[in-house]
Amino acid sequence: MLEIRNLHVSIAGKPILKGIDLSLRPGEVHAIMGPNGSGKSTLAQVLAGREGYEISAGSVRYLGRDLLPLPPEERARAGLFLAFQYPLEIPGVANAQLLRTALNGQRRARGEAEIDAFDFLEFVQDKLALLGMDESFLYRAVNEGFSGGEKKRNEILQMAVLAPRLAILDETDSGLDIDALHVVARGVNSLRSNERAILLVTHYQRLLNFIEPDRVHVLAGGRIVRSGGPGLALELEAKGYAWLADAQTVAQTVAEEASP
Amino acid sequence: MIALAAYRDALSRIEAPPGLAALRRTHLRKFLQAGLPDRQHEDWRYTSLAHLEHMPLHAPLAPTPALLALEAYPGELRAWLDDRPVQQDVPPSAVLGALADVIGAGALPAFGSLAPDSALARLNAALWREGASLRVPAGERLARPVFLRFAAAAADAMLHPRVFVHLAEGAEAILVEHFLGDPGIAYWQNPVTEIALEAGARLTHLRLIEEGPLATHTGLTAVRQERDSRYQALNLTLGGRVTRHELGVTLAGPGAEARLDGVFIADARNSAEQHVRVVHQAPHGTSRTLYRGLADGRGRGVFDARAEVQPHADGSDARQSSRNLLLSPQAEIDVKPQLVIHADDIQCSHGATVGSLDEDALFYLRSRGIDTAGARQLLLEAFVEEALGLLDAAGLRGWLMPRLLASLPRARTVEVRP
Repeated sequence: MLEIRNLHVSIAGKPILKGIDLSLRPGEVHAIMGPNGSGKSTLAQVLAGREGYEISAGSVRYLGRDLLPLPPEERARAGLFLAFQYPLEIPGVANAQLLRTALNGQRRARGEAEIDAFDFLEFVQDKLALLGMDESFLYRAVNEGFSGGEKKRNEILQMAVLAPRLAILDETDSGLDIDALHVVARGVNSLRSNERAILLVTHYQRLLNFIEPDRVHVLAGGRIVRSGGPGLALELEAKGYAWLADAQTVAQTVAEEASP
Repeated sequence: MIALAAYRDALSRIEAPPGLAALRRTHLRKFLQAGLPDRQHEDWRYTSLAHLEHMPLHAPLAPTPALLALEAYPGELRAWLDDRPVQQDVPPSAVLGALADVIGAGALPAFGSLAPDSALARLNAALWREGASLRVPAGERLARPVFLRFAAAAADAMLHPRVFVHLAEGAEAILVEHFLGDPGIAYWQNPVTEIALEAGARLTHLRLIEEGPLATHTGLTAVRQERDSRYQALNLTLGGRVTRHELGVTLAGPGAEARLDGVFIADARNSAEQHVRVVHQAPHGTSRTLYRGLADGRGRGVFDARAEVQPHADGSDARQSSRNLLLSPQAEIDVKPQLVIHADDIQCSHGATVGSLDEDALFYLRSRGIDTAGARQLLLEAFVEEALGLLDAAGLRGWLMPRLLASLPRARTVEVRP
């Protein structure tokens, strides 16, 4: 579903990602963990199509297409979804308006009929219930005045409505108390399916207690320095990220020796 | 150089009772002495009317046969074409009639005393023709909105629409003024509207400038509010080459409330100026000024607002908010919020911002599958919506929104991607 090969990305000339290789198949849940500044969010943003990043090398294929030339809206219409680390507040645009405009934009792109306001309300009801959100959320301006937890739940609500093929969750667990984390994890788990791949980007192992990944990758200094099964997350939790400094040095040395 | 002959010729064609005729001549003489305002005047430093001096301006003699199509208005309509009445939904009455008739029938208290002695207000006072008068008796509430439509159809026409509104104690009304014109011609509308609100009266006033792309509009609204009256205005500038609206509100009686909302859009090479003056003369008055401005292309907007709290107007509450968006690198909006305070125990605030469309918000919407044009449209609608709160209570949302949405600047197709 997603094939990232040797991806190099820099911002204003400063290299952030230095050769990422990653591959996700339908039905898989992968976690990318790593310390602050390791490039986790950059990877998420680049996949969603954020402007302002220089892609100096590498390729990303998604569902057999070259992803990188596509504008963000086309990626979304092709089923890619990014849950933002810091969801934007958009005063004056009601949540329902955003959800319905987005859903209809994607339906149009797929050649499906648009959904009217009445049917939309019915459609969205059980998704609200799943996330423990009151209907009044639909009529509030997007994320305006929402608590941190409400914003993150709202991201998962959008994900539930848009039913993406590939969901990237960027630090969806940050700033959540344990109850909110339960709700968000329940929402995400309910969206796991054989058709859908999920990429969890997180700093902490905590989220992975609730959403069990198939694979865990450790990103440090712009490279994936280790990959493994769910046990790797526990190892990180026990040891912290400090030991990565060594692993990173090793990886760097190996890489430099490989390309004289 | 000022086209003296054009103005004198226009005056010579107006029939008026001797007393009024003398007054009109005085106004014209004073206007001609001063001439058109130029950039030497502080209040006019953004505006140039020099192009008017090169136009063969004239007061149209007879209505042009090709009428601008009259669209449906959700209320009682009186329509003018080139200053001449062409449509009225209800026969003239003591409530809604021709200003010339009302003045001919006897003195109208306050008429002519609310507008300032500015050059353009004088020119209007000299050259207005039929005009409109809206007078609502004490305690009465007009069931339907009154629409006054001023359209220009003759090239190089100069039009001086005049409106006088008087709401007696406790009266209520909704007034809509709509200014427009043939998009293919250059013309000049110079309207003056005076509004007197007696104690407890309530007026909702929507003023829509939707002039053609070659038009000049220099409008003035002067409002005087007595005790506990409420004036709620929504001023929209959606079209016109050079447009300017001066709004002066005097809170003359204690407890008066003014809510002044506005949206202006300056695109292409247009300029759209808003000059708002609120004077708190009496205690416990409240004024809220809330404008949203958009400039695109080489458009230029001006938001110039001054709230003045005079001595003894204690307990006044004056607030201004102006937010503006620039949608192109060549667009410009100048903001000049001012508070002048001479009283105690008052609350005043002002905030003015000029920025560009939030790229992060745009990306957020696009990442949900909404294309750039759609995302921009959503954000622009949301941006102006903050100033449109009056529409629902007045029942005018359905009438206005299609016009407003059609005027929002479109997204350009050129995009920069990494």
